[in-house]
Amino acid sequence: MAEEFNPEEVKKACESYVKKKGALAFGLANVETLERIAPPGCGPLSMLPKTKSVLCVGVGGGTRGSWAADAKTLAYIGDTETMAYRIAYGLAFYIEAKFGYRSIFVPPDMNPEKGARVPMQSLKLHAEVAGIGARSMAGDILLHPEFGMMYYASVFTEMELPPDEPMADNPCPHPSCVTLYEQSGQTPCMRFCPVECLSGSIGEDGKVEEMNFDAHACAEMSQQYEAIPSVLLDTLDAKDPIERGMALHGPENQVIWYKLSIGAGELLSLCYECMRVCPITQTAPMANPVARGAGMRQKVVEAEAAARVEHEAEQNGVKGG
Amino acid sequence: MAYGVTQQMIDTYGETVFKLSLNKQTRRGDAVRLLDFEAIEAARAETGLTDEEIAERIGLLPEQVSVVRVFTERKHHKIDQHRRIFHLGGGKRWKKEEYSNPVERLHIRKEAMMIREALNFNPELAQRYIEKGYWINETLNGYLLEHAINTPDATAIIHPGGDLTYKEFKTQVDQLTIGLMELGLGKSDIVAVQLPNILDFIVSYFAITAFGGVMQTIHMPYRDADIEFLLGHSKARAVICLPAFKEFPTADVMLGMKEKLGSLEHVITIGNNASEGAVALESLKIEGEPNIGNPPVGSDPFLLLYTSGTTSNPKGVPLTYQNMIGNARLSVPEFHMTASDRNISAAPFSHLYGLYNFHVALCAGATNILLPAFSPPDLARTIEETKATTVFLGPPHAASMINAGLMEAHDFSSVRFSMFSGSACPPQLLETYRSNIPGTKIGQLWGMTETAGATYCRDDGAEDIPLRSAGPAAPGNEVRIVSGEDGAPLPAGTEGDLQVRGSSVFPGYLDNPEANADAFTEDGWFKSGDLAIIDDDGNLTLTGRTKDVISRGGVKFNPADIEDLIIQHPKVEQAAMVPMPDPVLGEKACCFVTLLGEEKVTLDELCSLLDDKKISKNKWPERLEIIDEMPLTPTRKVIKRRLIEKL
Ligand code: SF4
Ligand code: SF4
Repeated sequence: MAEEFNPEEVKKACESYVKKKGALAFGLANVETLERIAPPGCGPLSMLPKTKSVLCVGVGGGTRGSWAADAKTLAYIGDTETMAYRIAYGLAFYIEAKFGYRSIFVPPDMNPEKGARVPMQSLKLHAEVAGIGARSMAGDILLHPEFGMMYYASVFTEMELPPDEPMADNPCPHPSCVTLYEQSGQTPCMRFCPVECLSGSIGEDGKVEEMNFDAHACAEMSQQYEAIPSVLLDTLDAKDPIERGMALHGPENQVIWYKLSIGAGELLSLCYECMRVCPITQTAPMANPVARGAGMRQKVVEAEAAARVEHEAEQNGVKGG
Repeated sequence: MAYGVTQQMIDTYGETVFKLSLNKQTRRGDAVRLLDFEAIEAARAETGLTDEEIAERIGLLPEQVSVVRVFTERKHHKIDQHRRIFHLGGGKRWKKEEYSNPVERLHIRKEAMMIREALNFNPELAQRYIEKGYWINETLNGYLLEHAINTPDATAIIHPGGDLTYKEFKTQVDQLTIGLMELGLGKSDIVAVQLPNILDFIVSYFAITAFGGVMQTIHMPYRDADIEFLLGHSKARAVICLPAFKEFPTADVMLGMKEKLGSLEHVITIGNNASEGAVALESLKIEGEPNIGNPPVGSDPFLLLYTSGTTSNPKGVPLTYQNMIGNARLSVPEFHMTASDRNISAAPFSHLYGLYNFHVALCAGATNILLPAFSPPDLARTIEETKATTVFLGPPHAASMINAGLMEAHDFSSVRFSMFSGSACPPQLLETYRSNIPGTKIGQLWGMTETAGATYCRDDGAEDIPLRSAGPAAPGNEVRIVSGEDGAPLPAGTEGDLQVRGSSVFPGYLDNPEANADAFTEDGWFKSGDLAIIDDDGNLTLTGRTKDVISRGGVKFNPADIEDLIIQHPKVEQAAMVPMPDPVLGEKACCFVTLLGEEKVTLDELCSLLDDKKISKNKWPERLEIIDEMPLTPTRKVIKRRLIEKL
């Protein structure tokens, strides 16, 4: 097997496997880079000590319709992360079966022992280093110029494949966001975040200069796993019987019990207002499943590229003028 | 606490740990994408650290950092933040100014909860009232808004200063609502009003209730002691009053109350100027539309009226919209009240009866005519000038107009219906009144602060009914007569204790467990304290007060009949009999009289009159007290407890 092993070919085979399964983007992150950047104990080698390659997949977000629905609906139906996990899980088996190298599907879980919001592995970091997403103004949610917002999953394998580079450009901020920022001091994601957890600045070069993200505020609104112990403690603390009853039975908390009792799905995803108003998420050519299905990819990419050139020319013109 | 963590450690390091953790993240530039390892390293504390990294930096154990962090996160955690998610998307964009946390928005002050806790309805009856449509979601300002939208140019109010359309009226109410809210008043706060039937009263009433407040009324003749009792009992936060009323320095007295009572915060006097410490009502009229986060709904209390207290201290009667406005709405078709009616009340708005008829006209979208203070000529002139179609008055109002010849002197032909209530209605008086307005209908209404309009004659009933009775029960209500001995219901035509049950009946007295303990039967009948007879057709005739009963040696009698006889004595103007303690008989009767002239009357003279009338001896008074002035409620009922105090 070793004589026949052609890393580029194998990489292509993996890519075509995941794309057939529905992934939109595929890339490999440099293990050494990840080890340098991840906090101690959070790099690939801590999980699978002989990791040689980190393969990342990106799967499209919800349907266009889900962006038009109200936030509580989007919170349930807007995410496709389980699809990303399924594809990565399959990829790990595929590599082991086809090429004989030990592989694992990287668990997307949190590592509460490490601290607040610390994941076992940062799938975001993998995808960024693999070049299939770049950090945005919206709390570092990764964005892709072609596919918009994606859900990511990773596979660690002991098979050595050539890594990719991070994206050469960051699509965020979108030119229209720069314009809005110049006018109002805010980008759409900052302006419409319901808990005002985003702030920052854009530099002269039209790039993000500073991005501040209050992850606690974002999570306390949308991720109820943190609310459960609080709800229970509030119930114990409440002096007033109405307050005590409502701490458990209030509509905002009943959803927790509902989700726990049906034992399925997540408690709630993010509210994603920042992504609902993000021009990249909303207009990236291949973010549209219909466009993808109709095989229009190339056409749309070209059209988008042309539009960008035109826009930049215009911007330059304006600035020059 | 575990791991050697103390509260002091949490306090000291909590915020630092919180900031260093991934709870707060700052990114400068795009170091990871650009693989700028130096910049990544330099920014670690800003991009967020694990507990181990934080521990290393600040000199705690990683486990201690976890505890400190978790407790600090909990301090920051607001669990109902995710309500915001319900306000997003589906075409809506986040607008901070349009969102408020419902727990904060719907907060009611602890003190203001007192009146809400007094709403103690019988649940089975409440269910019945809702099912039957007696109780719906209606409010005073709901009607105002409806008319201001549907018939903005219709006349809402005629008052001595001019006319006001519903639209103009709504604007004035909106302005004052803003001002009152700016004083910090909110849902279920009690605002007392001591004003005559002037426009300021009505605008205040609507403005107070617009933001969910409760209006408490104080009768105009009330002075320091009564006012102190009422404001102290209700714990009103504000009072709206005249700067002064005749000789009475109202504002000064109210400011004194503010000093005395911890609960009274604002004294508001009508007009543009106010004395020091008070607020001018006009200064509270602020242009705009009020932003009411916790608006009133049908089940809310909105009125706090006090009983006159003929036998005890005044009792606070909280009333909900469903009680009071429901009662008025259900009365509209019974009186055939329409938007083209012009209604006038001779009774003050500080009383249930005055407000009741105002509400009926409001529900119909009719015009209410304000008579600031009753005087026979003013009432007669106003009826003529405004062409009033419906008049709500009491027998003394009618008697004084008739006696002064005002009914002949003025044109009353516009009046199609007149309703009498408030005190005993002599048939002769009603007949005379009716004969002065050809073609008009009359009625009698019986109600108490506790019951609103409990029974009344309909405007299309038989002509003789109003002369002898206060008609059948109002829609939503039931009346019955029971035995004073064992509470057993009595057949038609028998005198007994009057009880009333129904959708307009109050839910219990405010903060008065003793009174509440005896106010209702187990199945929700309110014991009115009146004696009455109900005929075969359900028409009610009042005959006296149960609580006036004098029990001489265990033989009870109602002194009302005896009092009626005593006032026939040529020397006597008013008479009232009260029980006085007696070591042998338990109670005996003492009679208080006021004289018509200078000439004194004796006990013997009164007894011989009763003897002539064949009144049994046990009902004769055994002591006589001549007094200069009879203590009367503003509705001219004798306050017998004051007489008992004199014994
Ligand atoms: S997901 Fe919602 S709360 Fe979080 S940053 Fe985006 S808009 Fe703000
Ligand atoms: S709206 Fe999207 S593109 Fe615009 S600044 Fe925010 S994340 Fe970037």
